[in-house]
Amino acid sequence: MCRPKGLEQLTHFTIKGGAKPSVTNAPPQQIAATEVPDSVALLGQDMLDMRPKYMVSEGDVVTCGQTLFSDRSHPEIAFVTPISGVVSQLSYGPRRTLSACIIYTEGQSPQSENAVVSDFNAAASARDVLLSRGMWPAFRTRPFGRIPTPKAVPEAIFVNAKTTSPLAPDPAVVLDGQLDAFCTGMSVLSALTEGIVYICQSQGVTLCPEMDRVQAVTFSGSPAAGLAGTHIDRLHPVSLDRQVWSIGYQDVAAIGHLFQTGRYHAERVVSIAGPAAPEPRLVQTVLGANIADISRNERACGLSGDPNSGCAAQFLGRFHDQITLVENEAPAKPSGWIARLFSAKGALVPTQGIERALAIDILPIPLMRALSVGDSEAAVRLGCLALIEEDVAALSRQCTSGADYGELLRHVLDDLMKEVA
Amino acid sequence: MALRSLSRMSLLLVAALLMPLIVTTFEKPLQFAPHLCVALVTVLFWEGSFAILRRKPVSFHGITTALIVCVLIPRDLTLWQLVFALSLGVVLGELVFGGRGFSFLNAATVTLSLLIFSFPQVELAAPSQTLALATLPGAVMLLAFGLISSRVLIGCVLGAAAVLASGSHQIDAVSTLTALAFGLVFLTAYPLTAAATNPGRWFYGAFAGGLIVVLSQGATLNTEAVVFGSLIASIFAPLIDHLVMLTHARRRRARHV
Repeated sequence: MCRPKGLEQLTHFTIKGGAKPSVTNAPPQQIAATEVPDSVALLGQDMLDMRPKYMVSEGDVVTCGQTLFSDRSHPEIAFVTPISGVVSQLSYGPRRTLSACIIYTEGQSPQSENAVVSDFNAAASARDVLLSRGMWPAFRTRPFGRIPTPKAVPEAIFVNAKTTSPLAPDPAVVLDGQLDAFCTGMSVLSALTEGIVYICQSQGVTLCPEMDRVQAVTFSGSPAAGLAGTHIDRLHPVSLDRQVWSIGYQDVAAIGHLFQTGRYHAERVVSIAGPAAPEPRLVQTVLGANIADISRNERACGLSGDPNSGCAAQFLGRFHDQITLVENEAPAKPSGWIARLFSAKGALVPTQGIERALAIDILPIPLMRALSVGDSEAAVRLGCLALIEEDVAALSRQCTSGADYGELLRHVLDDLMKEVA
Repeated sequence: MALRSLSRMSLLLVAALLMPLIVTTFEKPLQFAPHLCVALVTVLFWEGSFAILRRKPVSFHGITTALIVCVLIPRDLTLWQLVFALSLGVVLGELVFGGRGFSFLNAATVTLSLLIFSFPQVELAAPSQTLALATLPGAVMLLAFGLISSRVLIGCVLGAAAVLASGSHQIDAVSTLTALAFGLVFLTAYPLTAAATNPGRWFYGAFAGGLIVVLSQGATLNTEAVVFGSLIASIFAPLIDHLVMLTHARRRRARHV
């Protein structure tokens, strides 16, 4: 059923600009082991400003795929547990938003408990299934980079199956054996939009079956070629009234598994690499896994994400497929956006490095100035709606001011969202 | 190569200025040492005063200002004139704005302009060919670190050549480049006051180059014109950037329709 499309017909983009790759200690591209963490967490930082309505309480025993909480403003969106275990901590952040929801496996084998077949009803629409079975939070809107509202219809959906770092798992390796589920996932996605579902991938192995309204596009070049923002900018530029969604390739496969088996598929392949990793490898684990548990390394400090944009974390981020182990004595970044804003004492020096930092056609220095002073009007004119935090990480690294442009961008995007609402 | 702090930028500028400074030492051996000492004491005094006033750590960025000024001042400049111009230049051109990087003017350019304004008899030193050659390694280094833009440099040379050619002057490429080199690299192309968008850098460079020729009023470029050209161009740099942003925004909007 999955007839690969001839590569020569695919649209190809070569991306220039963006951060230089930092390659140390790349893992061999084969899944070495299955690591089951002792605890997992759903983190508020992956669901911005989401105020939870808890369906469980601390101490409850939950099974994989069970709803933990829903979004107070959109009760249709369910957030489910990736493992079976015991809810050990439910904590609130500012303004009753979610801070973290931690679940311990408590000695039960999540693999055996995992196969809970539920009341999956084939008649329900794809949208309802995704909403109620916990796959909705895998989508992120562009502009704004948030979980879409339940009724939103995107103009296009971008599946990001392009990795540029040799430290990250290779999508071809990860999807090997689950291509059928991936194809099912793609057809589910095409039911959500009337536009095109783009698969953005590397040249070489085609992940894409030829389907109605599904289009494979290949990217190569700098690390920015692996960012959804770059794909969207090249193929379907967004604005306030043109919304698209992006989703990761492993989430698409998980959607496929959900529709094929009725089981919530929380397994993800994650790379554990970085300068302090004794043996870099790819492991299969679950969403939100405790980094120390699966990396089996007490000494090193684990970053969730790639070496450039990752930050020290206890649990794996929802959208991350890399764990970077660095030496513990690495200088700690000032935590919290206020501390970071206040530590940004230097001025911005407009260097050529900054000019090359973005792969999107945006004037970087005027954008940085607009973001620094929170001028949302100018930032929109310059094109900030095309960006989310990961796209501007390169600017923060290049800038002499020490400002975190991801945080600044988020403030501007929040302001814009309030204006639109 | 990334430049992660302002202090590293100043350090790099000092490194780039080393060769021109050595050449200047040989060219005016008697006057250079007192000029340099007085200039350094003056800028550090003001940097220190402002650091105390603003309760901020002392910065040493003013050193680059002092070094650039020392290369271009004439050998017969009296010390009080130097102190006067440098004090006003550093304070008005940089420190009142909040220090390095927050001003739209280069303190060295302001200092040299004030010297010319205030003391009409003062003529800035005409750069020798040796000085121009000594600027080269520093310029290459600054280019490699991305601190100065090749667009500004090329734009400026092209702008100057275009205006020279239109004025039916006999163009002497060597003397033109000799007169331009040092000022172009350290005053005109100074990243904090040049245009900050890539298309804008072309216009900015060409505008500065054209201005320098116009202000020189002849085929031979003089240092005063280089200083004034850089000053006026840096005042216009934000406008150039703004126009580039408007054009760019229009192009982006066109993509969305």
